Amino acid sequence: MNIKVLGPGCPKCKTTYNNVIEAVKQTGIDAEVIKIEDIEEMMKYNVLTTPVLMINEVAKIKGRVAEIKEIKELINANL
Amino acid sequence: METQTLVEEKCPTKTQGWINAGAILVDVREPEEVAIVDFDVPNIIHIPLSEFEESYKEIPMDKQIVTVCENGTRSLRAAGFLINHGYTKVFNMKHGMIRWLQRGFPAIGDTTVPEGSVSCCSH
Repeated sequence: MNIKVLGPGCPKCKTTYNNVIEAVKQTGIDAEVIKIEDIEEMMKYNVLTTPVLMINEVAKIKGRVAEIKEIKELINANL
Repeated sequence: METQTLVEEKCPTKTQGWINAGAILVDVREPEEVAIVDFDVPNIIHIPLSEFEESYKEIPMDKQIVTVCENGTRSLRAAGFLINHGYTKVFNMKHGMIRWLQRGFPAIGDTTVPEGSVSCCSH
C-alpha cells in the first residue's frame, strides 16, 4: 500500500504524517509512507487545501488533520 | 521561498500594470480574512481555497488572471490548479496581501501594515 501526505510542512501536515505512521504500526500492514512538501510535486496532484492524505494515489482526506482511527479505517478499506 | 516552474509569479508592484490593463484578481483567502481587509481593485473574484475545486469554473478562461492570497502560498497552488485545468493566462502574485499593504496599494478595511522585510523589485 502507498500512502502519501501532501502539504508544505505546517503543524497540521506533521500531525497527519505522524498519525499515518501510528495507524500503519497499529494495523501491522506493509505500507510505503511518503511525505510530499515540494510545491511542484504538490501541484501535480492539484493540491489546494492542505494537508492531503492519499492512499494508492487517491485523495481521501483534504484540508484537515487525518485522525488515527479514520486512517486505520481507510487502510482496512483499501486492503 | 517556494521553488517551482509551473506558475509564473510577479510581485505586487509589477502586478499593478496588469490590473490597470484589466486583469482579474482571484482572491483565494477565506471569507473571514476578506472581511478584515480586501484588495481595492476594479476586477476581483473571491473564491476561498476551501471551495476552489467546486467553483473555479466561475473564472473566465479568456482573461488575464492573477491569483492572490495573504502571502502568496495558497494562491500559488490555486494558480497551479488552474493551469492544470486548461487556463493559460494565469500568474501568481508573490507575497500576497502582506506585501500589497506594505507597498501602500489600494485596500479596503484594516490596512495596518504587517511587519516583515520590504525589498522586492530592487533588481
